[in-house]
Amino acid sequence: MSRKCDKAAEKVYRYLDREMIWYQRVSMRWHLRRCPPCHDGFDFEGRLKQRIRRGCREDMPVELDERLRAFLREHGAS
Amino acid sequence: MADQATFEDDVMPFAPQLYSAALRMTRNPTDAEDVLQETFLKAFRGYHTFKAGTNLKAWLYRILTNTFINRYRKQSRRPSEVELGELEDLYLFRRLGDSGPGGASRSAEEEALDRFVDEDIKAAVESLPENFRLPVLLADVEGFSYKEIAEIMDVPIGTVMSRLHRGRKALQRALWRFAEERGAAEKP
Repeated sequence: MSRKCDKAAEKVYRYLDREMIWYQRVSMRWHLRRCPPCHDGFDFEGRLKQRIRRGCREDMPVELDERLRAFLREHGAS
Repeated sequence: MADQATFEDDVMPFAPQLYSAALRMTRNPTDAEDVLQETFLKAFRGYHTFKAGTNLKAWLYRILTNTFINRYRKQSRRPSEVELGELEDLYLFRRLGDSGPGGASRSAEEEALDRFVDEDIKAAVESLPENFRLPVLLADVEGFSYKEIAEIMDVPIGTVMSRLHRGRKALQRALWRFAEERGAAEKP
């Protein structure tokens, strides 16, 4: 694990969240292409992010949708 | 200026997403419904202040987040900043890699990820202190940008970044515990 890899790992979220300016992004991609361990680590973080998104989704009960609409009408919405 | 007459049509499509988020925030269906109802009422009353054509989703999440914070802050005021401690980057990946067969085999880590059930994910997210749970939810689940999260939570963007960073690592530590419990981290 080189210093470059440590630096890359620090920025993993900014990279995955697409919160980097383009040249930082390009230089990160360059590193990831040449460093399989970092590539795998970043890939894992990306999958984890997707897994969290999927795992947190919840279906809203139909009755709640109806209750909310009724509540809004009661308070004067269309 | 948005038209109150179209409120229901404009806003109800966001209800399922908002409900999901409210549930992760409050951690129970009754409170989630209360928060959602209050959010809708505030949004309806303030709808004339919403600028049509701007980000309605972010506007609604801002109201949801404020409603949640105002209601539940009293219960959960604690200095959570110190509780998380420091964790290394790529924490879960490295843990899973160390324990998997043959070191850092990529498929072993992916398999471990597949073995988490939705209940693990929810429990791990809900285990985070509120200050960290909100940015993680807003970024990972709702897909907001740092700037949008800063506006929704009314904190500086640097605060969003540091809480998100630490919150995600704490989430990974919670997941690692589940992985250990489930034997996902066991050596074959």
